[in-house]
Amino acid sequence: MTSQALLMQLLSGLSGGMLIYLIAVGLSLIFGTLRVLNLAHGAIYMLGAYLCVWLTSTFHQIPGMFWWALLIGPILVALFGGLVEVALLRRVYGWHFMYQFIITFALILIVSDLTRLIWGGGFHSITYPWPLKGNIKVAGGTFPLYNLFLVMVGVSIFYGLRALLNYTKLGKVIRGVTYNREIMSILGENVQGVYTVVFMLGCWLGGLGGALATPLVTVSLGMDMTVIIQSFIVVVIGGLGSLTGAFIGALILGLLDSFGIIILPQLAIAFGFILMAVVLIVRPYGLLGKREYD
Amino acid sequence: MLATQGLMKSFGGLIAIDNVTFEVERGELSSIIGPNGAGKTTLFNLLTGHLQPDAGNVVFKGKDITGLPPYRICRLGIGRSFQHMNIFPRLSVFDNVQAAVLSREGKFTKIFAPAKDMARSETIEVLKTVELGTKMLVPAGLLAYGDQKRLEIGIALALRPALLLLDEPTAGMSPEETAGIAGLIARVVQYQGLTALFVEHDMSVVFGISQKIRVMHLGRIIATGTAEEIRADDEVQRIYLGEEL
Amino acid sequence: MTNQQTTIHPLSSPIYKLFGRRWLWAASAVAILALLPILVDTSWVSVLCEILILAVAASGLNLLIGYTGMISFGPAGLYAVGAYSMAVLLVQADVPFGVAFIAGPIAATFVSLIIGWFCVRRTAVYFALLTLAFSQLIHTIIFKWYKLTGGDDGIVEIPVPEVLFSIEHYYYFALACTLGSLLILWLIVNSPFDKALQVIRENPGRAEFIGVNVRKYQLIAFAIQGFFLGFAGSLLCGFSHNVFPPIANWTESIHIIIACLLGGMLHFVGPFVGAMVYILLDKFVTGFTEYWSLVLGIVVIMLVLFFRGGIAGFILDKLSAQRS
Repeated sequence: MTSQALLMQLLSGLSGGMLIYLIAVGLSLIFGTLRVLNLAHGAIYMLGAYLCVWLTSTFHQIPGMFWWALLIGPILVALFGGLVEVALLRRVYGWHFMYQFIITFALILIVSDLTRLIWGGGFHSITYPWPLKGNIKVAGGTFPLYNLFLVMVGVSIFYGLRALLNYTKLGKVIRGVTYNREIMSILGENVQGVYTVVFMLGCWLGGLGGALATPLVTVSLGMDMTVIIQSFIVVVIGGLGSLTGAFIGALILGLLDSFGIIILPQLAIAFGFILMAVVLIVRPYGLLGKREYD
Repeated sequence: MLATQGLMKSFGGLIAIDNVTFEVERGELSSIIGPNGAGKTTLFNLLTGHLQPDAGNVVFKGKDITGLPPYRICRLGIGRSFQHMNIFPRLSVFDNVQAAVLSREGKFTKIFAPAKDMARSETIEVLKTVELGTKMLVPAGLLAYGDQKRLEIGIALALRPALLLLDEPTAGMSPEETAGIAGLIARVVQYQGLTALFVEHDMSVVFGISQKIRVMHLGRIIATGTAEEIRADDEVQRIYLGEEL
Repeated sequence: MTNQQTTIHPLSSPIYKLFGRRWLWAASAVAILALLPILVDTSWVSVLCEILILAVAASGLNLLIGYTGMISFGPAGLYAVGAYSMAVLLVQADVPFGVAFIAGPIAATFVSLIIGWFCVRRTAVYFALLTLAFSQLIHTIIFKWYKLTGGDDGIVEIPVPEVLFSIEHYYYFALACTLGSLLILWLIVNSPFDKALQVIRENPGRAEFIGVNVRKYQLIAFAIQGFFLGFAGSLLCGFSHNVFPPIANWTESIHIIIACLLGGMLHFVGPFVGAMVYILLDKFVTGFTEYWSLVLGIVVIMLVLFFRGGIAGFILDKLSAQRS
């Protein structure tokens, strides 16, 4: 295999991984602070994708509508997430994780049917948005400009989250609540409010991931299912509760997918699960996970 | 009966157990005391296999038990009660103790025989000894704290151990309850010929029933002796500065 | 402590109180089940078969999650191993029906011993995620191994003996198998072995220190669960005469878990009741609306929120409260 082709696969894997990160980071954030394994995160992603497609195609006269949709869509998804958190999720904090699992599964059923209700069961897709149509020349080959854009977004989100958590007051409160809920509520912090904010942020990220994915994937019912399993794999490999781990885990999965198809196409799908199982067997806390999730 | 030799255990950079060597004789009822953080529970955990020592060994009835998993050590004859609630909350009091009896009798491998009335008389015997005979059907999680501690001791007793390790059996109890437990321990040791070693903070229990007292501080045993000897020991006084001995 | 009482059911008291009555309940239930095909439509008999299959699967799973306290997210994998083993043997190896039928649970037990050996080394969330990973691996293997499993096309037209071809006949066969399974499980949960499992559930650390080799018993429980899941898989294969990859997918796992939860994990009849409720709910809702996922999702949430001890738990609670 030529080094040029190798480089192409590498870039493809990295940008694919970056998209996976953008989707999975919301799940990781929600689990890290709320200790909830949100099975419905894939459905949130799907909502983001549908909203983006709908906004873009309905208001296609407005120039640059994709970018407006990117702005508005995830916010709407976040609001929806906030509603879910307040009405439902907060009743089950502290319950055994199995109950939370079932409830978030039920949410998948509800959200996917709501999606079908509103937008029908067809397939949708949109083209690359201006100005990101076309390819860029890289090392003698071509690479979609949009995918490069994704990499940039992924890295920005990574550093943005880091900045939020480490340098803002909100971030400090979130970290405090993550590590010790009781002490934070004794200190007068509105722990319940923080949970809602974090859940909404996680949903915003999921919705953003969905919106960003629209030029690349077919938007249809059922897109939530593949994505949620992928996100789980990422979160396990990276370590439950670690955002940096999610970043690394997503890149690993992206590269694994990209090179796996070349090396062993038959087993390519299985690589993710094999890695997930290996990590859980050998080092359950993942690459960067913390020990307390037992 | 039990002997340790040069036990060492550190966590990170902190030395929790520092070269501990001691012996417990058969039939002895002794205690370990010391300020918080002296390493008493860690020592117990080393004895029962819940922790592996970095160095040294533990010999029980002439057999080296260092590094064995807890369930093996238990089967060899060491029983233990734990500091924090360690019962089976949703099972009834009866079931809690019966489980220990069944385990000891090796009955857990039986699949095709009803368990409800197995070892009934023996379980009731134990329950009577710890004075929980009237509360057999109560779910253990609903018992009062003092009764839960009694149940703990009952579970340990049901194993018919040769050596009984009790980790703060009277923690958090009122003076009456404390006296009751202390009396129970003394009676059981005497009538059933057990050897018992307990960790305690309550000095009335320590000086009341133990024949021998060991004082731990910063991971070491700094003094061993009878009640009078310990009371008179200057170093012990210094450590418990201000406390009534 | 009162909070604990309403949502966690003490295993001893209600059962002691209901002793003696239980045989009456069980006998009448069996009688009703045996008479049902005469009373209802053929299409309903088909539904009843589905209920029985799910009931066996859920009851097997409940030995692990209800009695041993280990939540598994991967029962579908073992269920599919059972179904596919039987299917492959019947279609590709021309093995007699009875042998293939038994091969299902045996294969599933074998696989669960292997998977279980790895899984029981982990606790709680990690255990659950590992079971999920293995289950998805099984799904992937089934999906990809075209030569053996037919991949996405599945295995169809599986030969079933003439006598079992009609739904009514198959129902009685399935009923007998289900009752047999429940009988064995009943013996297991009343045995000293199950006491070991329960102490592991209540307090694994303490269980270890009454001399229980926790990992060994967890592995055995895992294997027994695998056996019954595989048995349910065989029943499925014989019932639908075909097998497809989705039965190994995690969504199928969720169905089995929901059956346990809805019925009540701490009661023996819980999974059976849960299977019945879940499937009937599904059929009923599908019947009157196109958006049955939505309704099902809402109902499941309601049931989980308000009947945490499960429906069987709720009913038994009421019954024992009446008695006292």
